[in-house]
Amino acid sequence: MMEKTLTQLLITVLLFFGTLFALQQVDWVSLFKVEEITDKTEEKLGDLLWETFKASETENSDPILVKSVDSIVAKISESNDFDKEFFKVHVLNSDEVNAFALPNGHLVIYTGLIVDAEHQDELVGVIGHEMAHIQMQHVMKKLVKEIGFSVLISITTGSAGGEIVKQAAKTLSSSAFDRSLEKEADIKAVDYLTNANVNPAPFADFLYRLSLADSQLPSIVSWISTHPDSKERAEYILEYSKDKSTDFKSILSEKTWESIKEKLTFSEN
Amino acid sequence: MIHIKQFSYEPGDHEAEKASNSYLMSLIAIIAGLPFPIINLLATFIFYLGNRKSTYFVRWHCTQALVSQVSMLFINSVAFWWTIGIIFWDESLTNNYFAYMFTAFIFNFTEFVATIYTAIKARKGIHVEWWLYGPLTNLICKPR
Repeated sequence: MMEKTLTQLLITVLLFFGTLFALQQVDWVSLFKVEEITDKTEEKLGDLLWETFKASETENSDPILVKSVDSIVAKISESNDFDKEFFKVHVLNSDEVNAFALPNGHLVIYTGLIVDAEHQDELVGVIGHEMAHIQMQHVMKKLVKEIGFSVLISITTGSAGGEIVKQAAKTLSSSAFDRSLEKEADIKAVDYLTNANVNPAPFADFLYRLSLADSQLPSIVSWISTHPDSKERAEYILEYSKDKSTDFKSILSEKTWESIKEKLTFSEN
Repeated sequence: MIHIKQFSYEPGDHEAEKASNSYLMSLIAIIAGLPFPIINLLATFIFYLGNRKSTYFVRWHCTQALVSQVSMLFINSVAFWWTIGIIFWDESLTNNYFAYMFTAFIFNFTEFVATIYTAIKARKGIHVEWWLYGPLTNLICKPR
């Protein structure tokens, strides 16, 4: 009797794993168009979240500024084989030192961050970091983790209230990613920058400087408060970029960068 | 897969009803247990405890219903937590997930059909032994 039971158990286990193995051969993900649905959700969500920022803040439409930021994104995209059309860059007028990524390639930069950057490569570093979050799918991962997949779906179908949309927007603009995701984005940003022949050292300087400023201006320096352990990050960015090429060249001309800074500083005062 | 066998004695109508109920218990529990697989097992286990001093026929069928739920618990718990991971954590929908869910469905469905069939037969006092669970029950459940 025991032998019979064991034989039948073995056959059942084999049958289970055999069925599983056979079914694993089917490409269910493309059969059910999972990626298409996920992409559509991300697209809707990104546009919806951007609309909330657009409604509450003013977009800076200065042609030189917009073109310059676009050219930074275009240069990083070209050097790293990204589809530059996917990134939708928006510059918002605010003295907050902040930049963040939204789903569907929306990248939001506050003028406060541009004013605070002492060198254009610092801004390029932050843009590279946010582009890495987008490229590595961190944005959707964070939203799913913090808000939940079902709520995200309800936002896109319109059944969720405005408060939930606002909460999602707040999550992305003023809370940190996991430490491991931040590190991944930093390291990727160094790769993107060096591929575009941009010096990553100023990005590390920027983090280091803001970590010092953090204690003095906690309310304004959002980017750093949402990106903790800046000193440590500055250190590993420098460490990682140590053996990279040294033939660096800034993306914007000095003249363009100066004029952007001048205009923004003037409008802030 | 399923064998109708001669039981050691002819069960009475009252016994047949109780034995049949042990399967119905697991069927009802499936509805409540879909979100939480442990409920299926708990329901059949409680029914088993309530009938462990009953006649051999009733005990035998309660045991078969129980052991079948134990194995389903493993399969369904993996399915349950994998799904939770996708909804609340950052697990993604993969081919492996779909393959597992369909396999789990096939096994659950087979068990579901067998359960209904056995519940009907047991109600008529007919003794039905399942593949694997039948011999296993014979090892666990002995006449007093």
